Amino acid sequence: MSNKIVPAIYRAVIDDVIHNIKNEFEEFGVSEEVLAELQHKWEKKVIESHVAEFETTAPPPAQQYAPATHHVHMIQQAHPHYGAHNPYAPMPAPNGQAPQVKAEPVDSRYILGGPQGVASHYALPPLPGPTLNGARPAAVHPGGHQSVLSFPPGPPPVQQQPQAPAQPSTAAAPRAYNAPAPAANPAQPAAAPRIPQTDGPSDSSDDSPSPPQSYAPRSSHPSLPQPSTSQNSVVDSEAINSDLDDSDTEGEDDADEGTAGDTDIVFCTYDKVARVKNKWKCILKDGMIHINGKDYLFARCTGEFEW
Amino acid sequence: MASAYYEFYRGSSIGMALTDSLDELITSGSITPQLAMKVLQQFDKSLADTMVKMVKTKTTLRGHLHTYRLCDDVWTFIVKHPSFKMESNEVVSAPRIKIIACKNGDAIEPGKK
Repeated sequence: MSNKIVPAIYRAVIDDVIHNIKNEFEEFGVSEEVLAELQHKWEKKVIESHVAEFETTAPPPAQQYAPATHHVHMIQQAHPHYGAHNPYAPMPAPNGQAPQVKAEPVDSRYILGGPQGVASHYALPPLPGPTLNGARPAAVHPGGHQSVLSFPPGPPPVQQQPQAPAQPSTAAAPRAYNAPAPAANPAQPAAAPRIPQTDGPSDSSDDSPSPPQSYAPRSSHPSLPQPSTSQNSVVDSEAINSDLDDSDTEGEDDADEGTAGDTDIVFCTYDKVARVKNKWKCILKDGMIHINGKDYLFARCTGEFEW
Repeated sequence: MASAYYEFYRGSSIGMALTDSLDELITSGSITPQLAMKVLQQFDKSLADTMVKMVKTKTTLRGHLHTYRLCDDVWTFIVKHPSFKMESNEVVSAPRIKIIACKNGDAIEPGKK
């Protein structure tokens, strides 16, 4: 339910904002056309993000983001994929041509063996990294375990998308933990340009979080500190963090940077947070949940967790 | 006027869409950054007000708390295997979720705190 109301709420918000800033625009001497353009762009992006089912009046995006079709496709796949919205992350784009980047798919995790192309769109390899190029990761990992290393779809599918493909990958990275599929992958990656991160810090057999991060195919040699991270600090973390570091924290930081579209996150306010021993109870208000690529809203949420 | 509202909603899907659109307009020179700031402030307010007015749904959430943090009146939780129960008994889960919660149900108002 709370997802069904989302389009209406967003519509109301957009209308309200545009209405109220008309005055500001006039004060600043900016023409109404610009205002209309702003509204148009905004709506377009929101619709493209597919966080809910909008009745689109806006024309299909296709420009900056990967064609919506991909999304649809993806959605069908039921990947936990986020909407194509990749807002932040200025990825330097386009790797469109170079499959390599895409190959990196952090997203591959999501791709449980699934459609190859799908993942790639989103996977903008955060790392500038050596081109993993295109080696298409040998076809989807069997069983879909995420060996992150195997990036799915080769570049070709990627090519289609205009660079923009989402940055979700960055967000994805932290989630990669899920399917660490660690060691298995080494084999695959080896073939492809992807460099399996099997050895090196991440790999250590420790349970330390790093392993999952293996998505790094980023060319990484384990010891090589990944050059910055284009957006993924998570990726970096793999390279530079010690095993003692909590990978989750890294993931958090990353997500904090604003991967709204990529990571499952809830923005809300709290009324009360209480704890008894290891049982936590919270009362949250006015929240916006972004999960599995969809948005949900709530006026009130009670949470019970065990730590 | 100028009551401050929480800005963290700018990180949401709709907020990021707006921010991106504004950035594009700034880059193209159609608007100034100051105007963009005003727009975002208006967005903070509109979104908060609209949510309070129009959203009435309740949700429950369970999961395993992996990390908790309180800093500057902002709680950040990382919950593993969360499961959200939406109103229509719809259950949504994910492997992991981060929750960012600011204090109170109300926006900060100047003069308070």
